[in-house]
Amino acid sequence: MDGSVRLEEVVMRFGDFTAIDETSLAIGSGEFFSFLGPSGCGKTTLLNIVSGFLTPSAGQVYIGGAPMAGVPVNRRPTAMIFQNLALFPLMMVFENIEFGLEVRGIDRRTRRETAERLLALVALEGVGPRRVTELSGGQKQRVAIARALAVEPRVLLLDEPLSALDLKLRQHMRSELKAIQRKTGITFIYITHDQGEALTMSDRVAVMSAGRLQQVADPMTLYRQPATGFVAAFVGENNRLEGRVIDRQGERVRLDAGALGELMGRTGPEVTLANGTPAALYVRPEQLRPVEGQAAAPTLVARVEAVSFEGAWVMVATRLEGSGEVLRVQLGNEVSRRYADALTPGQRLTLGFDPADAVVLPLDGSPRLDAATGEVVAGADA
Amino acid sequence: MLRQLSARFGGPLAAAILVLLGIWLIVMVTLPQLQMIDYSLRPNLLPDQRGGLEDGWTLANYATLFANDIHRTIFFKTLWSSVLVTLLTLAVSYPLAWYLAKVATPRQAALCILLLIIPFWINEILRTYSWFIILAFRGPLNEVLMMLGLIDRPIRFLSGDAGVMVGMVYAYILFMVFPVYNAIESLDDNQVRAARDLGAGTLRTHRRIVIPHAKPGIATGCIMTFMLAAGSYAVPALLGSPGSRWFTQIIYNWFFEGGNWNQGAAYAFLLLVLCIGFMSLVMRIFRVGLGDIAK
Repeated sequence: MDGSVRLEEVVMRFGDFTAIDETSLAIGSGEFFSFLGPSGCGKTTLLNIVSGFLTPSAGQVYIGGAPMAGVPVNRRPTAMIFQNLALFPLMMVFENIEFGLEVRGIDRRTRRETAERLLALVALEGVGPRRVTELSGGQKQRVAIARALAVEPRVLLLDEPLSALDLKLRQHMRSELKAIQRKTGITFIYITHDQGEALTMSDRVAVMSAGRLQQVADPMTLYRQPATGFVAAFVGENNRLEGRVIDRQGERVRLDAGALGELMGRTGPEVTLANGTPAALYVRPEQLRPVEGQAAAPTLVARVEAVSFEGAWVMVATRLEGSGEVLRVQLGNEVSRRYADALTPGQRLTLGFDPADAVVLPLDGSPRLDAATGEVVAGADA
Repeated sequence: MLRQLSARFGGPLAAAILVLLGIWLIVMVTLPQLQMIDYSLRPNLLPDQRGGLEDGWTLANYATLFANDIHRTIFFKTLWSSVLVTLLTLAVSYPLAWYLAKVATPRQAALCILLLIIPFWINEILRTYSWFIILAFRGPLNEVLMMLGLIDRPIRFLSGDAGVMVGMVYAYILFMVFPVYNAIESLDDNQVRAARDLGAGTLRTHRRIVIPHAKPGIATGCIMTFMLAAGSYAVPALLGSPGSRWFTQIIYNWFFEGGNWNQGAAYAFLLLVLCIGFMSLVMRIFRVGLGDIAK
């Protein structure tokens, strides 16, 4: 059973608006693949193209190697889990799960057996004769999964299915989904704007913005080596410091950040950074730590503005003395106890980071995010 | 209720509303019905016999229907034809309601609804007359069909039930389209998409998902259409032939040609009771409650 999905130069236009810019992508059979991006980035459109609810303006979709042009929704080897689940409220749980089998003309007994087996898979034995309206949010979620799996899809499409659940349940369902995916070996294509979901569950993640793929990589790479400024800002939290390239030696880049002095960071071999061009250095809050005395690498001097206790760590909002920009610093409880005196509003703090942990990227015109709200604020930063 | 009303409108206005409502319910609805029942239970007497020995309550007027073969046949034929009218109207209205609710763009839907409503600005009798012209032996419909070569000689649409059916479907289509449209519109699009995604074709999607959801609307539309059809007078009178007499025409005859109001009242009351009984039965069979319909 080949559950691979391939998009070949897929374009989707609605009138003058281009929802999906030319996109090519190959998703392996049995892969847990996520599309991550803010709302309106085109990820749901892409899912609808794979499922067949939308016909792309150009390009081709292949599932298991077969072209899907002209294949209607009800004949594709895909099944979808909708954001609002779209369970059939007038039917009981059994009927919901058996619906797809009933369509395929499978006899009553086999249908019931399959439904029982799937209910066991999603840990919902015994709820079969109940109405779906009587179930809790998490139970409905599981019924939706069972209903989609019943038709034995080669590709399961999930459209933000956890967004309606409470935090604890959502986190629990993540591991459950991942376990179901591993057990069934079905290709999962998962749409979300929640990076936590994408990073914890996926084999690979495609970060999308404004109808374009920004980066396709495994979660670790995405976090450690973002390819664009958008990915750096959208995945995890990042401090962004602008400057100009002084010089570059292999992966090591020196940056002239004006009033902040000289900064050092790392970049990937595929990134072009000519001397003198504008660039941004991204350093994550957890990579920053207070330093005393002479430091080997460049340091940043900032004043503490607010300290918030987050349980496992402390988040310190500081303002850089040189540029007046906000710099967020995340400190472990041990470090924060050691610097308890310095971590009060108004205190001066010298912060350092390992240049190998900071990423330098060119100002490439990719969409920018508001640091405080995480919303896209501009189409381009060039 | 009184407290809510007076909170919203103030005491005097709330009282006025309640009094008007009471007058309407008692004087304009309940009393005329009671009077009709009273009429139906008394023999038809000359004015000077009223209050005399023969005046008294009797079921004789009701017995007439069961004794008269022709009237009884027409009565059941009226019920049966009304069922047919209802089913035909549903068959025409359901695709239309589906199109309006789920397929059409808002502009198309608005235009379509306007086109549906405009003819209803004209009086029902005039609309029915226009069908009389269209369906006539030498009317435009026969002309067109002959011109297209579909028939070689004109059809007498108005001599059987066909004219009555067409006229009634047309007369009551809005009473069916709007409840069904409202019901379908409230269906989540994802329900339909989910059914499609799970492999269901168009027919099964409608049978298993859309129609069960729209059942209360369909029931409302059917009840209204059935009651209107069974109680219709103008359409069968204008488009019907002697062979397609409606029970309402017999009631009319008792009142205005036979001059026997008592007998007419009994027939009218029987029609009302039997129609309500029939509707309750149908609602029970389709498991639709009054509450569903009021939604």
